[in-house]
Amino acid sequence: MDAKGRALSETVWTRLDRKAGAITELTIRQLRHRISTWVVLSVGALVMALLLAFYVDAIRADFEPVDNDGDSADWDNDGYPQGQENKYGTSDWDGQEYPGSGYYVMTGEVDWNDDPRSHSGNHTWEGQGYLDAEWVDIDYTGSRWSGIIDWGDVNPCSEGDALDDWWLDWGEACTYDDGSYFVSGKFRASGSVSVPENAYMQWGHMTLASYVEPEPASMYIDEDGILWDGEDVSEIGIEVDDDGDCLADPNDNNRDGIPCNVIWILDADGDEIVEIRADYNVNEDPEESKYLGESSHRTFIIGTGKMAFVMMLGIFIPLFLALGLVRDETENGTLHYLLSKPIHRAEFILYRLLGYLLLAGTYILVLVLLMALVTSLIGPGDSLIRLSDFPVWLGIGLATVLVLAAYGALYNTLGLIAPKYGVYFCIILGIWEFIMGMFTMTLPSASVPMLSISHWALQLIDAIVLIAWPDTLQYTQIATAFGIDSGLPFFWQPPVHTLGTQSPVVALLVSITVLLLITVAMIGIGQASFKNREIM
Amino acid sequence: MSDKTPAVLVDQASKWYGEVIGINDVSLAIDGGVTGVLGPNGAGKSTLFKLLMGRLKPSQGSVRLFGVDPWTNTSPYRRVGYVSETERMYDWMTALDFVTTLARLHGMTREEATARAEHVLDFVGLSDVQNKELGKYSKGMRQRVKIAHALVHDPDLIILDEPLHGCDPIARTSIMSVIRELGSQGKTVIISSHILEEIERITEQIVILHNGRLLALGNLHAIRALLDKHPHRILLTCDDPRHLASEFISEDPVYGVRFPEDGKLEIQTNDLSAAHAILPRVIVDSGAAVSAIENPDDNLESLLGYLIGGDS
Repeated sequence: MDAKGRALSETVWTRLDRKAGAITELTIRQLRHRISTWVVLSVGALVMALLLAFYVDAIRADFEPVDNDGDSADWDNDGYPQGQENKYGTSDWDGQEYPGSGYYVMTGEVDWNDDPRSHSGNHTWEGQGYLDAEWVDIDYTGSRWSGIIDWGDVNPCSEGDALDDWWLDWGEACTYDDGSYFVSGKFRASGSVSVPENAYMQWGHMTLASYVEPEPASMYIDEDGILWDGEDVSEIGIEVDDDGDCLADPNDNNRDGIPCNVIWILDADGDEIVEIRADYNVNEDPEESKYLGESSHRTFIIGTGKMAFVMMLGIFIPLFLALGLVRDETENGTLHYLLSKPIHRAEFILYRLLGYLLLAGTYILVLVLLMALVTSLIGPGDSLIRLSDFPVWLGIGLATVLVLAAYGALYNTLGLIAPKYGVYFCIILGIWEFIMGMFTMTLPSASVPMLSISHWALQLIDAIVLIAWPDTLQYTQIATAFGIDSGLPFFWQPPVHTLGTQSPVVALLVSITVLLLITVAMIGIGQASFKNREIM
Repeated sequence: MSDKTPAVLVDQASKWYGEVIGINDVSLAIDGGVTGVLGPNGAGKSTLFKLLMGRLKPSQGSVRLFGVDPWTNTSPYRRVGYVSETERMYDWMTALDFVTTLARLHGMTREEATARAEHVLDFVGLSDVQNKELGKYSKGMRQRVKIAHALVHDPDLIILDEPLHGCDPIARTSIMSVIRELGSQGKTVIISSHILEEIERITEQIVILHNGRLLALGNLHAIRALLDKHPHRILLTCDDPRHLASEFISEDPVYGVRFPEDGKLEIQTNDLSAAHAILPRVIVDSGAAVSAIENPDDNLESLLGYLIGGDS
């Protein structure tokens, strides 16, 4: 190219530049003069502020230890936590049974078809039958609920045969004129019992009770932890069942031939945990503060990025800002001023979108950086500021801006093609995008959500998270394997579109490319439609 | 681009919207001077302008601006200024802002654009209010801002769609003088109106559209002269119509008189200019007190009536 040609091309380019500058500037100023712009942008900022408030609250409250396996609770109200009852082999649902409570030993029974059907002695009994008692322990009394006969409430028996003509509830007795009883339930007595046909009675004795000191519930919180400190993968050792609840009833859920252990599966380089296979009841109640702080922090960032930025702001901002970018000018007639200038209609659409994107993109960037600053300052960790969070926040910003571009181009095109009903199409599309976004989070490899824009933006975030925080995979594995309920596995799963390379960088590039292609295609459709539009 | 190419060339162009005809088989070439496009509402003036500005695509025939099809190519707009009939503006902008922004679409830098905008706003007489928001402008001022934006790049061709519509008399006069000034600068100016008298005060070169058809094209005076040879009325408001009538009836151009209402005299003539020539003398001689002279036929409707009548 000779000097003249270069000068000419420079002129053409600078002129294009100036036109682009003028239209983008006009667009931004126009948007700034609309109330709806400020409303939608302030709502977005308000949502972020609320999320931050929740975050600050959660971080400041510290992470309360959570009893993942629930064995610190005293379900039967006998003063002993479930963990201690398990240790002593007493029932955690029967208040009469607790460590040191003494237990029942059966010594004999009359079955439904046994013969003879009567027995005498001084026992603890359980069943139904006629009792001719020498002595009854009226202190051993209860209610229908415990099955122990309530000796304070005994009525005369009805006429006829028990069980044939009438029936007693469990835990009740009735008396005959001669002082004998019909009993139904548990009782202690010395005497003779005869059991009717088809009834059952067993007898035995209670062992001697002793006092066992109840243990505090806190002993059974975080009592089965992970021995590995969660930092250096090479230090992973053998995990044991600290509280013995697996060893008490051993299982080999991971089928490696060793009951009550944990298998850690590392990636090819051996520096990342890819999968954790644990037997049941091993490491099931780890110390939350060690793992929950970090994974909750990450869950907050990823969740905010996906739900608030991509799916809320990403869908709503274009609806309010981009739908009328060109349509409103056409309807107002102000388009005539702009189109009487030497500017191609296709250029016009492009610069309009650019103006919208500059405004919305700046807003997103400011919001993202504010969120990043606050959370990285107060987030967990020893350093003053968590610099490793910034790439993720910037990735969220990038995903949101790409979504704004794609939806903006799409909505603007819809506004052009269907000026009257475009808004309804956009709302339907918005709902579609939201649903597909939710599907993408739960089933990232399903193929239908790939037809949505949000899918690719969420995948972009998944990819950038894995690049910036490679050990996120570990946290999701620990969360899934040991039940640390941080929500991380819901909000984050490894990116899918790696083209078989397993590389998050490939997934990132694929997502960016798809989003850009969608944007370009939508702009192209809008331009083609607008170019051949007659403007009244 | 050859200078021989006319600024505007319309060749057998038609435009219809479904069943409705916008313009029908119009051919014309305009280059230089001020041309008035006359026609009642719905005659096709705006359709013609929108075809020229590439807003609409001709259903048949062709439209060229400086030899280029404006529907597919925006390059002629570098040399064209267009004042559309639209009344909406960006009310939150100042006039200077508005004109500067649009000037930048011609590829000017911000500084060039501001300087040009100040210049043209001064030219249309708005420099003292250029920093006021457009929302606070009167109708006439807004029309002048629209003209300013069309002039900001010093175009060779200026197309104005009803620029006088809805303006107060002062704005009207000032806009007319701006347009005459542009004409005298040697630019091609095309202005539409549905009021004959307005156009008459600006230019002699006219195009008359009616029902989408090109009815007449040429010098307004020639057309008027044709019109003058046909029955015409002059309406006088005076104190003694009967006496004045007797004075007029003997004059040559006058062939009849009527008394449409009290204190009014209608003179019927075949030669309007001759009748106007004798008018002052007869009135002075009669000593009658005449308070008003009106030409009820001197409007677009009667011109059209005549032209259509002449057609059939």
